[in-house]
Amino acid sequence: MNFVCNFPFISIIITLFSGPLCTILSGKWAKRVNEAVIVIVGILSACVLGYVGGTGEAFVYRMGHFPAPWGNEIRVGVLEAFMGFFFCVIMLLCMVAGAREREEEIEESKQNLYYVMVNLLLCSLLALIYTNDLFTAYVFVEINTISACGLIMIRQNGRTIEAATRYMIMSLLGSGLLLLGLCFLYDLTGHLLMSNIKEQVHILAQTGQYHIPLMVSVGLMSVGLAMKSALYPFHAWLPDAYGYSTLSSAAILSSLVSKGYIFLLIKIFYRVVGFEVLTGSKVANVLFVFGIIGMIMGSLNAMQEDQITRMIAYSSVAQIGYIYMGIGLATQEGMVASIYHVISHGATKSLLFVAASGLTAASAGGTRYRNLAGSGYRNKLAGIAFTVGSLSMVGMPMFSGFISKLFFAQAAVGHAHKMLPTFIALAISTILNAAYFMKMVISIYSPRYGGNEEEDASYAVQDGWNYGEVSHKEMRRNGGKVIFMKDQPVKAAALICFIVLNFILGLNSEPIIRMIQKGLAMFG
Amino acid sequence: MQVLMLGSIGLPVTSGVVLLAFSLSQRLKAAGRVERTEEEGKLQEGGAWLYAYVFIALICSVGFSMAAAWWGNGSVTVFQLLDTISIYFHVDETGRLFMTIISIIWPVVGIYSVPYMRREGGEKRYYAFFLLAYGMLTGFVYAGNLITMYLFYELITLVSMPLVLHNGTREAVRAGRKYLFYSLCGAYCGLFGIFFLYRYCGSMNFTPGGTLEYAMVSGHEDIVLLAVFVMLLGFGVKAGMLPLHAWLPTAHPVAPSPASAALSSVIVKAGVIAIIRVIFYVVGREFLQGTWVQYTWMTLALLTVFMGSMLAYREQGFKKRLAYSTVSQVSYILFGLSLMTSDALSGALLHVIAHGFIKCGLFLTAGVFLHYYGYGRVEQLRGIGKKMPLVLGCFTLFSLGLIGIPPTLGFLSKWYLAQGALQSQIPVFSWLGPMILLISAFLTAGYLLPVTINGFFPGEETSDLEHTGQKDKTDWGMGISLLLLAVFTLLPGIFPKPLLQFVSEAATIILK
Repeated sequence: MNFVCNFPFISIIITLFSGPLCTILSGKWAKRVNEAVIVIVGILSACVLGYVGGTGEAFVYRMGHFPAPWGNEIRVGVLEAFMGFFFCVIMLLCMVAGAREREEEIEESKQNLYYVMVNLLLCSLLALIYTNDLFTAYVFVEINTISACGLIMIRQNGRTIEAATRYMIMSLLGSGLLLLGLCFLYDLTGHLLMSNIKEQVHILAQTGQYHIPLMVSVGLMSVGLAMKSALYPFHAWLPDAYGYSTLSSAAILSSLVSKGYIFLLIKIFYRVVGFEVLTGSKVANVLFVFGIIGMIMGSLNAMQEDQITRMIAYSSVAQIGYIYMGIGLATQEGMVASIYHVISHGATKSLLFVAASGLTAASAGGTRYRNLAGSGYRNKLAGIAFTVGSLSMVGMPMFSGFISKLFFAQAAVGHAHKMLPTFIALAISTILNAAYFMKMVISIYSPRYGGNEEEDASYAVQDGWNYGEVSHKEMRRNGGKVIFMKDQPVKAAALICFIVLNFILGLNSEPIIRMIQKGLAMFG
Repeated sequence: MQVLMLGSIGLPVTSGVVLLAFSLSQRLKAAGRVERTEEEGKLQEGGAWLYAYVFIALICSVGFSMAAAWWGNGSVTVFQLLDTISIYFHVDETGRLFMTIISIIWPVVGIYSVPYMRREGGEKRYYAFFLLAYGMLTGFVYAGNLITMYLFYELITLVSMPLVLHNGTREAVRAGRKYLFYSLCGAYCGLFGIFFLYRYCGSMNFTPGGTLEYAMVSGHEDIVLLAVFVMLLGFGVKAGMLPLHAWLPTAHPVAPSPASAALSSVIVKAGVIAIIRVIFYVVGREFLQGTWVQYTWMTLALLTVFMGSMLAYREQGFKKRLAYSTVSQVSYILFGLSLMTSDALSGALLHVIAHGFIKCGLFLTAGVFLHYYGYGRVEQLRGIGKKMPLVLGCFTLFSLGLIGIPPTLGFLSKWYLAQGALQSQIPVFSWLGPMILLISAFLTAGYLLPVTINGFFPGEETSDLEHTGQKDKTDWGMGISLLLLAVFTLLPGIFPKPLLQFVSEAATIILK
C-alpha cells in the first residue's frame, strides 16, 4: 500500500486532535493552528487526488487492519479526494476573509473556542466524505451538527441563540431520522460497511424481500439528510442562522456544511442503496418535487427579503432546491449536474457572503437595500465581487452558474415526465434570481436616497454624487465610509481568489465534469 | 483573419474596461442635470485626452470590424467552453450588413456625444460603456453559434443598462431596473429554448436553412414549436414586440439622448438579429412555415405595429413618442421576417438600415432640443424652427423617411415589405399586412409632422422661445452628426441599386 493512502486518515486525525488542542491555546495561536491545519489537510487531499487520479481506481484503507465485515474502513475515489480538497480551499478562504469580523464580533475569551469548532467541523466533513462505514458517518454527522451550532452561536446575541436552537432542533430531527433509517438497514442486512450493505440490498431487491422496510429506510435517510441540508419545507432555521452569525460562520455553513450532507446522501444512494434500487423507488420523485418547490419558494422568499445576508441565505434555499432536483431526476446526468452545482454553489455563495459583508462595512453596518445604495463605489472590490457572484447565480455564461444550469437542463431534456416541470421551474427560478440579485447590483451602484430632500442632499455629499470629482479622502471627511483594498489586504486577497475560482469553474468546467463522472463511476 | 476578428471585439472591450477602471478610480459624478455656468462647463472632467482616447479606440475598432466583415468569410473558435460548446465567431451576410450599420451609427453618435455629454457629466463612465457596448455588439453580430450569441446578448444588456441609468436619478434607476428585468426575462426564455434545441439540432452553429434534425423531432413537433415560440417571445423583448414591449418607452426617455439613440437604433435590433439567427439559421423556415407559430408571430407583429403607432400618436413627451414609434417600426421588421419570403425579407433588412439611421437621427434631434432649451414635450417645441432651422429641417427629413416618402430609404423598405406581404399568399395576412402598414404610416405622419409644422409655423401665439436670449447655433459636433445621418437616409434612397442587390442576395442566402 502506498504511503499516500494514509493521508485521508491522517487528515481526519490531524483535524480531530487540533480541535481539543485549540482549547488550551490563546485566540491568536488557535487561529494560526487552524489555518495551518486547513492548509496541511488541503495539501494532503491534493496529494490523494493526484494519486487516485493516477491509479484510476478507488482504494480502501482499513482502520486497525481488521478485515471487512468487522473493521472500520475509509474508501477514497477521485470525487472524495476532490471534495476534500475543494472544501479545504473554500474553508481557508472563508476563514481568512472573516478574520476581522470574528475579532470584532466574538468575545476575546471565546476566540479560541471558535477554532475548536471549525477544526471539528472540518474533521467531520472529511470523515463524512471519506468514510465507508455508515455508522461512522452518523457519528460524524452529529459532530458536524454540534460544531455548526457552535459556529452559529459564537456571536452571542438573541438572534443567534434562537437561530442555533432552531438549527439544533431541526438538525437533531434529521439525525434522528437518519439513525432510524440506518437501524432499519442494519436490521435488514446485518452490516454497517457500505459495500457489504450494498451486496445485501442488491440480493433483497432481486428477490423482492422486505421491499417496504427497505424503502422506508431509504426514505428515512433521504428525508433526514434533506432536513439537515435545508431542503425546502425544512429550511426555517436557515435564514436566521446564516443571516445573523458571524461572516466566516455564514460562509462556511452555507457553502460547506449543507453540502457535506448532500454529498453523504449521494454517497448513500450510490454506495449503500445502489443506483438501480433508487431509480426503481419513488423516493427520488419526492426529492424532485420538494427540490422544485424549494427552487421557486426560496427565490420568492429571497425577493421579499430586504436584508442582504438574509436574501443570500434564502437564495441558498433555492440553490439547494436545484441540487435536490438534480438528484431527484435519478439519472447519471442529473447526479453529475447536482454535484457540479454543489461545487459551483459552494464557491459562489461564500463569495457572495464575503462580498456582502464588505458592502455592509462600507455602509456603516447597514444591511438593507436603502443603506447599501452606492456601496459598490465605497468598497470597489466588494462591489465587483458581488457583481461576479450575482452574475454567476443568475446563470451568465462564463460563470459557474451557467454551466450547472446547462447540465441540469441537459439532464432533464429527454426525461419523459420530469422534463417540463424541470424546465419551467428552472426558468421561473432563474428569472426570480435575476430579479433580486440584479436589483441588488443596480442598487449598490446607484446613489443613496433618504426619506426627504435634505437627507438626499446629505447622502449626496457623503458619497460624492452631484459635486463633481470628489476624492475618497473628501468623502471620508464628509462622513461617508470608504474602504480601500489596502485597508484590508487579506480580505481583498480572499475576494480575488474567490472571483478567480468562479471564473475557473465557469470557463474550465470540462475537466471537473469529467472528474465527477469518473468519481461517480468509482462509487460503483 | 483571426487577428481582425478578435481585435474587433477585444479592442473596444479592453479600451472600455480600461476607461471604466480609470473612471472607477476617481469619484463618479452624475445625478441629474446640474445647472452650470459657462466657465464651469469648460472645467468638466472630459478634456481633449479623453476624446482622443475614445475616438482613436473607436476608429480602430471600427476599422478592425469592417476589415473583418468585408475581407472574406472568416471564422474563429476562441475557446472551448465544453467539449460540445465553443465560443465561435463567424462572419456571414447578416453579420456584414448589421455590422456595417452599427459601425456607421456608433462614430456618429460618438461625435454627437461630445458636446452633449459634457453637460450631462460622468463622461468617462459613459464612454467606457459606449465602447464596451460596441465590442459586445460586434461579438453578438459575429457570433457563430447560439451559445456565443446568447453570451453576447446578455452582455449587451449588461453594458447598455448603465447607459440607461446614467443620470442616477430615482427615475433612471427604476427605468434601468425595468430594462434589465425585461431583457433578462426575455434572454432566459431564449436560453431555455437553446437548452431545448441543443438536443434536437445537429449543431448549434448557424447554418442557413437550419440544423434541426427531423428524425429526432418527429413525434415531438408540438413541444419543439412551443420552444421556438418561447424563444421568439423572449428575443422579441429586446425588439419591443408585444406583449413585453413596456421597457422601451420607460428606458429610452430617461437615458441621455445619444444613449437612447444608440439603444433605439441599434440595441433594439439585437432582438431582430437573434430572431433571424434562431428562425432562419437554426430552426429553419421549412419547419415553421404554415404553423401556428408563424401566424401568431405575424399577428403579434402587426398588433405591435398598430398599437405602437397609436400610443406614439397619443404621447406628448417627445422622446417617449419616439420610443413608441420604435416599438411600432421594429415590428415592421419582425413582420417582414415572419412572412419568410424573399421580398419581405429584403424589405425587413432594408428597414433595419432605414430605421437605424432615421431613429438615431430623430433621437439626436430630440436631444438637441433638450440640450439647448430643456424642452422635452411636444407642445414646447412650437416655433423651434425659427431658432434652429437646420436641426428641424433634418428632423423633417427623418420624419419623411420614417413615414416612407420617396426618395428616402424608408420608402424602399416599406415598398418591399408590402410587396412581400402581397406575394406571400398567406390567407388574410397578405392583404391585412399592407393595410396595417399603410394605417401605421398615416399615424406616423400624424405624430411626427405636427412637430415640424408647429415648429416652422408657430402661428399667432408668441412662444417662450422669443424671449430667451440663448444662442441659436448648434454645436458643430451635433450639427455634423445630424447632417451625416440625413445623408445616410437620403443617399441610399436616391441610388438604391447596390444596396438592393446586396440585400436581395443576403435574403436569398438566408432563405436557402
